[in-house]
Amino acid sequence: MVGDATTRFFEDLNRRGYEPALAKASGRLRFDLHEGAQTTHWLLEIDRGNLRVSQEDREADTVIGTSPAIFEEVASGRGNGLAAMLRGDMTVTGDPRLVVQVQRIFPGPPTSEGSRRHFRGEAH
Amino acid sequence: MASNSTIRILDGNTFVVSEDTGDIEATPSEPTGLFSIDTRFLSRWVLTVNGERLNALSYDDLQYYEARFFLVPGMATHYIDAKLSIIRERAVGGSFREQVVILNHDEKPVDLEIRMEAGSDFADLFQVKDEIVNKQGEIYAEAEPDRLRLGYRRGNFVRETIISSSEPARYDRNGFGFTVRLEPNEQWETRIDVQTVALGPGGRDLRMGLRAHDSGRLALQRDLEEWVAKAPKVNSEHEDLAATYRRSLVDLAALRFSPLSLGGQALPAAGLPWFMTMFGRDSILTCLQVLPFVPELSKTTLRILAALQGTRFDDFRDEDPGRILHEMRYGETAAFEEQPHSPYYGSVDATPLFVVLLDEYERWSGDVALVKELEPECRRALRWIDDYADLVGNGYIWYERRNADTGLENQCWKDSWDSISYSDGTLPPFPRATCEVQGYAYDAKLRAARMAREFWGDPAYADQLEREAAQLKERFNREWWVADGEFYALALDPDGRQCDVLSSNMGHLLWSGIVDHDRAEKVARHLVSDRLFTGWGVRTLAEGEVRYNPIGYHNGTIWPFDNSFIAWGLRRYGFAEEAGTIASGILDAARYFDGRLPEAFGGYPREQTKFPVEYPTACSPQAWSTGTPLLLIRTMLGLEPHEGHLAVEPVLPVGMGRIEVLDIPGRWGRVDAFARGRLELHHTRSAPTEA
Repeated sequence: MVGDATTRFFEDLNRRGYEPALAKASGRLRFDLHEGAQTTHWLLEIDRGNLRVSQEDREADTVIGTSPAIFEEVASGRGNGLAAMLRGDMTVTGDPRLVVQVQRIFPGPPTSEGSRRHFRGEAH
Repeated sequence: MASNSTIRILDGNTFVVSEDTGDIEATPSEPTGLFSIDTRFLSRWVLTVNGERLNALSYDDLQYYEARFFLVPGMATHYIDAKLSIIRERAVGGSFREQVVILNHDEKPVDLEIRMEAGSDFADLFQVKDEIVNKQGEIYAEAEPDRLRLGYRRGNFVRETIISSSEPARYDRNGFGFTVRLEPNEQWETRIDVQTVALGPGGRDLRMGLRAHDSGRLALQRDLEEWVAKAPKVNSEHEDLAATYRRSLVDLAALRFSPLSLGGQALPAAGLPWFMTMFGRDSILTCLQVLPFVPELSKTTLRILAALQGTRFDDFRDEDPGRILHEMRYGETAAFEEQPHSPYYGSVDATPLFVVLLDEYERWSGDVALVKELEPECRRALRWIDDYADLVGNGYIWYERRNADTGLENQCWKDSWDSISYSDGTLPPFPRATCEVQGYAYDAKLRAARMAREFWGDPAYADQLEREAAQLKERFNREWWVADGEFYALALDPDGRQCDVLSSNMGHLLWSGIVDHDRAEKVARHLVSDRLFTGWGVRTLAEGEVRYNPIGYHNGTIWPFDNSFIAWGLRRYGFAEEAGTIASGILDAARYFDGRLPEAFGGYPREQTKFPVEYPTACSPQAWSTGTPLLLIRTMLGLEPHEGHLAVEPVLPVGMGRIEVLDIPGRWGRVDAFARGRLELHHTRSAPTEA
């Protein structure tokens, strides 16, 4: 079962088509979300910031494996990807550099207020 | 705490701290053990022969990654009768390997029961450091026919220690043993291999591709030889200086650490035993210190810090867009978010210093490609300074942690809770702004302006940055100058009130260039006055301040790295004699530590203690202490890149004799620098002249 935040996260990337934070990244990253015998795939193709998202099960430079529930947490900002990896809740095979680049585009926690002066001043 | 009798060997972030017999008997708070990725993998490792503990005749720490122990059974009084000798030789590098050799010197055969007790508490380094013991998961031990497996499991978090021996052994859950008969003059040996495993559910180790270099013993030796051969040579009449330099080079090699994400390239970890990981501030300042000698560390440091630059608001991690990280950890408390280090962003100096290092690195290396590559990260860092760091809205960098439970209160290099105070000793409210960080911001803007003009093709941005820097300097000199004491305040509180204590921080202001020229002399005099300068170095806080304590972590001790930047700053403003005075004092102190400067030592007057008193829990080797002698050499020789070549303008104290530094790498290829000590140090520890 793929969660709402997961779907929104990938659809949003696909719609944007370009992400400046990934301007220096190129490669294919596949997310394998395992639940029982079933695996949902999301393939993120990055070409110097240009993005293409599909659900193909194709070969990738880096494969991230986790459960749909954990990924839903990370995609919504409630969970942190690097901590999930340290915990063993998320695994990486292939080139780890792509993971470091891609972790930039995940949102922060929805409850975080950020830098006080600015956030308070600009909250709407 | 790690006492002086512990033996430490390390490679990257794997290290072993043991007693002088090679044994490990850790308690939850004793930092002995085998550690890797911020986790203790062995807390018990005790060798006995026929049930008897062994005693050390001697030990050698041969290289940073290997040590050898010569042992005999029985108590000290029985040494003479020893008919057996035992040699333990160990190395780290990927795994931990120990060879045990037992020799029978008797005319008769002997029957031996040899046993190694082995166990692990799998403590997170933070639990060891802060003496916390409550493991949430399950510790297990499994004896298999050919190995002993010690493990810890908490959900999918699994860490295992797998022990095996080349000679067949009997394994049980608490160790393993051998029954051996040795004929006269016969010897027995076995090779024990200890693997540390950090498995994810896919069965793959977390650290795949993490190694900075091939980790076999011979490969490590070759790597070290190449590292030393590639660095400039320092020859000196002052014998200790050359030895200190060599010690520093080797320690820098040992402290190289390859984070998970860099594909095997290395940057300096902060220090043994608590800080064998990546720190924004420590890694950057170390790179600045060693740039003339090992420039390649800067490139990898800049790249990894850029890759992990903050991109969002995360209050738990004190993360903001554009902010450079403070600390990365790999242990259980980071994994389960009991500590925020995945990574943690709570420092305010790493971000401007990131920009400073990139510019300084280009000035030496001519590596324009990297300046272009990191342009977006530099711009984001500069935006962070203006937008997210200015919590009060008056143009300075401020800090106030958003993670009130586990975040850092003081986010400057003096990061202990009581390091920032008013002269009456009380602590100011938050947000706080410390002086040296404003200097870094000033320097970052000017250096970014140069990069924008020369390499980013953006002269308008360069003009803007220079305007901002000029305004910052003007306001800073107005608002931070303590008029009656004639020095710069340590910090400001949110109402603009000065923390009017005399501290070492203003030495960094000279380095950054934010000090008005007509005030520089006053600052220089303070720095070498009796209140701050002990004869060995400049204290973090001046004698006479309410919170002054000669062994107060940031309130009176001497930090070698701090002194190296102060000396650099003094030199920048033309105070070569004062710089030489500090350089001599610190290099003299290094002699008492066999060339390995500790993190900090006591702020007692030199004539009182005659030798520098090591701070009780100081880390050693520590990266920025290791880098200190290198920056002091640079400072004394006046090495400065200038229009594509290397300018050398030595001002050496007489006692240094002749110094030559050969093969200094840079955009000029490799050049040599020579100097002779001609400077008579007139410095007598005197108070600054009255105004």
